[in-house]
Amino acid sequence: MLYPEIVIVGCGNPLFADDGLGPAVIEELDRLQLPDNVKVIDGGLGAPHFIFTLIDPAVTKKIVVIDIAEFGAEPGSLAKFSVEDLPPGSYRDAHSWDLTEPLGRLKDQVEITIFGVQPKRVSSPDMEIGLSEEVQKAIPKVVRYVLAEIGVDYGATIKAERDHLWKEGAAQVRGDPEGST
Amino acid sequence: MSKVVEISPTTRHEGHSKLVLKVNDEGIVERGDWLSITPVRGVEKLAVGKSMHQVPKIASRVCGICPIAHTLAATEAMEASVGCYVPEDAMLLRYILQCANRLHSHALHNILSLPDMYLPGTDTKINPFTPEEPVRSVALRIQRLREIAQTVGEIVGGEAIHPSNPRVGGMYKNITPRAQQKIYDLAKEGRILAHEQSEFMIAVFKNFQNRDWAEVAGRQVPIPDDLGYHNQGYMAAAPIYGSSSLDDNPTWFPERWTEVRPWDWYMGEEEITLEDKDYPVGGTTPAGEKAWPQMQACTGVPLYDGQPVEVGPRARMVQFKNYDLKGAMGLQIARQMEYEACAYGMIEAVDALNTSGKVVADEIPQGDGTLGWAANEAPRGCDVHLAKVKDGKVGWFSMLVPTTWNFPTCSRALTGAPWELAEVIVRAYDPCVSCATHMLVVDENKKIVAQKLLE
Repeated sequence: MLYPEIVIVGCGNPLFADDGLGPAVIEELDRLQLPDNVKVIDGGLGAPHFIFTLIDPAVTKKIVVIDIAEFGAEPGSLAKFSVEDLPPGSYRDAHSWDLTEPLGRLKDQVEITIFGVQPKRVSSPDMEIGLSEEVQKAIPKVVRYVLAEIGVDYGATIKAERDHLWKEGAAQVRGDPEGST
Repeated sequence: MSKVVEISPTTRHEGHSKLVLKVNDEGIVERGDWLSITPVRGVEKLAVGKSMHQVPKIASRVCGICPIAHTLAATEAMEASVGCYVPEDAMLLRYILQCANRLHSHALHNILSLPDMYLPGTDTKINPFTPEEPVRSVALRIQRLREIAQTVGEIVGGEAIHPSNPRVGGMYKNITPRAQQKIYDLAKEGRILAHEQSEFMIAVFKNFQNRDWAEVAGRQVPIPDDLGYHNQGYMAAAPIYGSSSLDDNPTWFPERWTEVRPWDWYMGEEEITLEDKDYPVGGTTPAGEKAWPQMQACTGVPLYDGQPVEVGPRARMVQFKNYDLKGAMGLQIARQMEYEACAYGMIEAVDALNTSGKVVADEIPQGDGTLGWAANEAPRGCDVHLAKVKDGKVGWFSMLVPTTWNFPTCSRALTGAPWELAEVIVRAYDPCVSCATHMLVVDENKKIVAQKLLE
């Protein structure tokens, strides 16, 4: 099965400044030792059709979505939403499909929680790599809330510092003799 | 006296595009312009100065739908520029990724196309979300095909959406023998489903082409026999994977490529004189408003041998398989005929893979600024990335994505169709508009001339 009991999805595009919050939180969560029934996914821009339309409610019981959201608070503020809180049509993905539509189909069978962080700056359509300081600082807070939401104790999750595949020279760090860059 | 109608934005595809159509008194398109209105993002400029390892990651974030194709094309453009040959087992892993990407994309596209179609033998339009049979079984089959493709993509690519395993020089990791077996099992299941699905879809598309009319906006619109025909050429680099400037016998030729400004290609300012409030979704643009395609288009117009060309499933079938069905449904049918090849491609590649084989090149040169290109046969067509890498840094980068090639060709294919069916033609091309928007536009002397657009 592609998606397990608990699915945590970070949405957004790291090329548009604070829109990269979702993937950045996923990168943090990826460093933690999470239970086997949890899958952490960098949804990028593809979550509505690559993930939400492929969820099997017979298997997946809980979805946690992390994204930026405009709710008029200080940048870096965190808020929790339900699917009903999202105004319909507020966000359309590249397929002209509404984000809320596939979530709306799932919400009666799967528990869905959405964590939204108030962005300071979204550069779209211009590209700008890097989160604002305020939003960057919110990441540990988001991680804490996500872990609480899925009932995992933060203290039990820390595992040895691990480098990510996509980082330059990662293979060398892992001691891979063939991993020269 | 011709009238002008505008459909903006067009729906059920990726990104934002619009159609500006000059039609005659019978509503038949005399000239159609299909253009991107997704803003230019300047990814090619952003790439300059970044490391050759970073740029494929950036390219993969341009759009969320075809990140695998962009990752592979950009990675291989870097490798082509620095002159890095990749171990065979790494190429086999990339080949599996390519097949998974195509399988998923074609299945997803079925969902986007089906609402235009009818159940063969009836006047019932297909709603892919209905619980009624036989559509329900078809929808479940599409979902399973998508799931199979995504699972294979995740195993080989490292992540389900933006693959993290491909790297300049090969792949970060080989897969385990267990993963190899899993891919084999999934591909075998996928092969049978792909066969059933392609047969069903081909029947649906043939049925549409044989119908006398289609219902749009509450009217019966006649379907011409030559719906979506054009007389342009085709461009494809390979039946499945692609080509690069490192090949002994490359199948794409940069010297045959030129690009012109939208300003020189699209219509000038026009006033909308025909509107239809009933047109789905939300009606066409109100009469009296202005359209100015040559200023609004966000893509350059790439030409091959001085002409627009078609890329995609039919181009591959025409160039490598003697395929000759024309028109919008001919293109749709070609796409379905690729279904099984995706599953067989995975089976053959995973069979040939040595899971203990090396997947990173021994040495990755840092480049001397030579132009390298990779033409990857993405699901929607030839995705050409070009790069110049020097001392590990990217000095120049360009993306010629499938939809950029298809915009002008499809615009010509609109001529002669009832305007209400223009979107059916556009959707046959499975456009991927978001990443089609790029900024570097050069004239026939290879001089950059796009400044006009930026005013």
